[in-house]
Amino acid sequence: MLKMTHLSKVYRTEVVETYALRDFNIDVKEGEFVAVTGPSGSGKTTFLTIAGLLETFTGGEYLLDGVDVSGLNDNARSKIRNEKIGFIFQAFNLIPDLNVFDNVEVPLRYRGMKAAERKQRIMDALERVGLASRLKHYPAELSGGQQQRVAIARALAGSPRLLLADEPTGNLDTQMARGVMELLEDIHREGATIVMVTHDPELAARAQRNVHIIDGQEVDIAEDPRFHAEHAASSHV
Amino acid sequence: MLAYYLRLGLRSLRRNPMLTSLMVLAIGFGVAASMTTYAVFRAVSGNPIPDKSAQLYKPLIDNWGHANGRTSDDPPNAMDYTDAAALMKDGKGVMQTVSYPLGLSVIPADPKAKPFRVYGYATYADFFPMFGVPFKYGGAWPADDDARHAPVAVIGEKINQRLFGGANSVGRSIDIEGNRYRIAGVTRAWNPQPRFYDVNNTGGFAADPPEVWIPFTRAVDLQIPTWGNNNCNGRVAPGWDGWLHSECIWLSYWVELPDAAAAARYKNYLHAYAAQQQQAGRFDWAPNVRLYNVTQWLADQHVVPQESQVSLLVAMGFLVVCLVNTIGLLLAKFMRRAPEIGVRRALGASRGEVYRQFLAEAAMVGVAGGVLGLLLTAGGVLGIGMVFDPDIARLARVDVSLIALTLLVAVVATVLAAFYPTWRAARVQPAWQLKSN
Amino acid sequence: MQIKPILSALRHHKAGTILIAVQIALTLAIVCNALFIIQQRITMLTRSTGIDEAHLIRLQNQWVGVDDKHVGSLMQTDLDTLRRLPGVADAYATNSTPLSNGGWSTGIGLKPGGKGERVQTAIYFADDHTLDTLGLKLVAGRNFRSSEVVDQMQHDGLDPPQVIVTRAVADKFFPDGDAVGKRVYLGNKPSIIVGVVARLQVPWVGGWAANWEGRSTLVPRRLMASGTNFVIRAKDGQIDKVLHSAPAALLASDRMRVIPDDDGVVTFAQMRQEAYQSDRGMAILMGVICVVLLGITAAGIVGLTSFWVGQRRKQIGVRRALGATRRDILSYFLTENLLIGATGVVLGMLLAVGMNQWLMNTFEMQRLSWPWIVSGVIVLLALGQAAVLAPAIRASRVPPVVATRTV
Repeated sequence: MLKMTHLSKVYRTEVVETYALRDFNIDVKEGEFVAVTGPSGSGKTTFLTIAGLLETFTGGEYLLDGVDVSGLNDNARSKIRNEKIGFIFQAFNLIPDLNVFDNVEVPLRYRGMKAAERKQRIMDALERVGLASRLKHYPAELSGGQQQRVAIARALAGSPRLLLADEPTGNLDTQMARGVMELLEDIHREGATIVMVTHDPELAARAQRNVHIIDGQEVDIAEDPRFHAEHAASSHV
Repeated sequence: MLAYYLRLGLRSLRRNPMLTSLMVLAIGFGVAASMTTYAVFRAVSGNPIPDKSAQLYKPLIDNWGHANGRTSDDPPNAMDYTDAAALMKDGKGVMQTVSYPLGLSVIPADPKAKPFRVYGYATYADFFPMFGVPFKYGGAWPADDDARHAPVAVIGEKINQRLFGGANSVGRSIDIEGNRYRIAGVTRAWNPQPRFYDVNNTGGFAADPPEVWIPFTRAVDLQIPTWGNNNCNGRVAPGWDGWLHSECIWLSYWVELPDAAAAARYKNYLHAYAAQQQQAGRFDWAPNVRLYNVTQWLADQHVVPQESQVSLLVAMGFLVVCLVNTIGLLLAKFMRRAPEIGVRRALGASRGEVYRQFLAEAAMVGVAGGVLGLLLTAGGVLGIGMVFDPDIARLARVDVSLIALTLLVAVVATVLAAFYPTWRAARVQPAWQLKSN
Repeated sequence: MQIKPILSALRHHKAGTILIAVQIALTLAIVCNALFIIQQRITMLTRSTGIDEAHLIRLQNQWVGVDDKHVGSLMQTDLDTLRRLPGVADAYATNSTPLSNGGWSTGIGLKPGGKGERVQTAIYFADDHTLDTLGLKLVAGRNFRSSEVVDQMQHDGLDPPQVIVTRAVADKFFPDGDAVGKRVYLGNKPSIIVGVVARLQVPWVGGWAANWEGRSTLVPRRLMASGTNFVIRAKDGQIDKVLHSAPAALLASDRMRVIPDDDGVVTFAQMRQEAYQSDRGMAILMGVICVVLLGITAAGIVGLTSFWVGQRRKQIGVRRALGATRRDILSYFLTENLLIGATGVVLGMLLAVGMNQWLMNTFEMQRLSWPWIVSGVIVLLALGQAAVLAPAIRASRVPPVVATRTV
């Protein structure tokens, strides 16, 4: 489903070159639930934005659903984002001007769907996250957990093959976080491929497989000394 | 999708009513100022006789030279009697006429009615077909009447109404300053603007149409003085004849020529005429002649008033400032929504979609500004009489083309102003916006 | 206040900064030139004619069916009628008056037959009542005598033995102030200057007479033409009455005349109103444009600065947390605006001068003087500071605690 080989991402300023990802490899199979973990600044969010075609990469290869995405133009990339990928963000990123219904509708609009089909899909998606009764509410009128459910409904409405989640519970209290996590697991059980970025080991543990990034590289936790050093340092504080 | 963008735009505009109304006001005022002054400019710079403006020519002969300390190198803008009579006698054009303005008193047949004043021209029969004067009854007097110095007249609709109750008065007579004239024709209201055929005396604009025409030859016999300008240079012998044969300029000469080749031949003829006058000792300078068609003549005489041009320019500068203002406000408005743009991009909006969404929003501002501008333009055109000469102000009108142009200018200008802010909006990196939280 | 951090912050808002600066520059250029046009027009329309306009009426009369040669007796009868009318102080007949925008002009010089140095002068036909009627101030010499006033046919040469000239004419040829008794030539025969009046404006208010608008010459002549203008001086408070009684009295004495209904009888106040209509209108139009333009520019500055303040709330909070006072924040935004404004006005001054240069080349416009530019600069900088005040105060009220919040 998602395969990166020797992928690198370099940020250049006038003074320095910073490697956000370096010789990065990952292979996520169809239907997998993978958690990508790592400390802050390790490059895990960069990985997610590249995986989601929000950003381009500097070197290496990225195959999404078997397609090499490196040569695609903005329109093609937008189309892929719209049809194959669903995003769930830490900060929900609902559009404050739009109500729940209109927020979920956004990706469907860009697909040029008929109104009736859009409505059906929106209702299904909101039903799925248990918010069908809140169509007319604006994001500001909802709790954090509800907002994240709307965001998940928005990600699901377009029936994407791949769901990318960035610290989906990061802004939520424990109880709400649990609810959102259970929802993701349900979705996974129904066949979606999920890649979740988190620094929370407890959350990561609920995925089928964990991938760790440190300094922009995928590592084996057991063997990498940097991981231990970091870990040790943080446990002393 | 357009409906969707318009709905989004409307929602966004309603969210910042202050900012939105500021933009609408700026566009509205800018467009209204430009359109109001343009309405006047359009009225004064129009072609008064589009069908024939390339066939009607104004010949000028320099009969003043640099005599008496005159410094201009151009011939005077009117003609003296000697030259006008000579050109008329040669009759080199398809048609030609000499005219001068008259201010005359008409004495009604009814002894109880007061005499009243009419304005018109002493001219030749060719005047009417040359300038396309429309007739209600009858027509021009026969060319023969010019030669016979006949007491005939063409009158306007208005005095025909006043004297004859609007009936067909052809063949009846009219008493002008105690002389009777047989009416040959009654014109419909005819008042082309600018008044190209009499720029010398009107500056190009006169509100009231001429109401009476009599043969030039007759008017000169009766020694009716010109109601217009009379400029003299050098000696004038006493009496009417002394004046006629002076170098005073007071006549407007026009000739109809079919094409450019004929015009070139006519110019050679003028040159030869002036050379002959030089040989005869009347001019002690080389031939200096001009031949202008209608549009050239109006340009040469600077018929478009300075006020109209300056105010149009200032108003357009004003519009530019309003647009710069709108660019800034749209930029602020669009960039404030960078997070929304990021989300939309992540959810599959291409740059093109972002362009369309924001340009649609800007176009709505443009339409609103255009509607406001239209109302202000209508008010402005009504109030224009305060600024410009009433003779000119009344020419400015709000018509379908001005309405369409106002809306078009508002929308096009706003959309152009929106290009930069929209380009910036479309460049918003989805990743940066989403990560920064 | 340090300028360096402001400059580096502005680099991050390049577009907004440039837009405000450009807007200020264009506004300055337009406002300077518009104010200058207003000033020129006001100077024009406040010029004095030299006559006592408040008491004067012009009556346009046309005798019907009369040979020009016989106009003299009609004119005398009409003048007697008018002068006897209650409420009338005096009256005379003439070819033209100031503010009428139509009249005679000719060259005047010290040599006969149009030779030698000559200047253009307006010719007003006058008699012994003219000075009193118009309320002209005689500064040297004497008035015309009634015996000197004679008939003049329209197409005969104008060579009056006596003339009264304005000081503007007298000073041109006799700068020592000894014009009375000297000879001047309108045509071929000499005219003796018998009197000098302080001021009498020419009939034209427009551009072509602009350079000689004070050069008028009175000639002791009655113009033998069927159309004439009567100038009537009303006694104090009687002008409205005379406005109606004068034409009625003339029509009662002889019906064979035309006094146009619309503009046949007008006060000089109305004539002034009409003569300067387009000048006044132009001044009003430019004034309206200036006011709206300044308003829009101010509103634009408020809008963009508010946006910046909103964008920088967090940064402001951090500064406040690090010890910046409200005053510091306030002066930060005021200084920022002053820097942008300064750039704008420098650019604007160049634009203003360029625009004026172009207007001078294309139209009859004078050179823009520095005081206009300087006052324009001050107005715009003050406007910028005033406009930025509200958003800057809002910025200064951002509490330091904002620094700790994630938005």
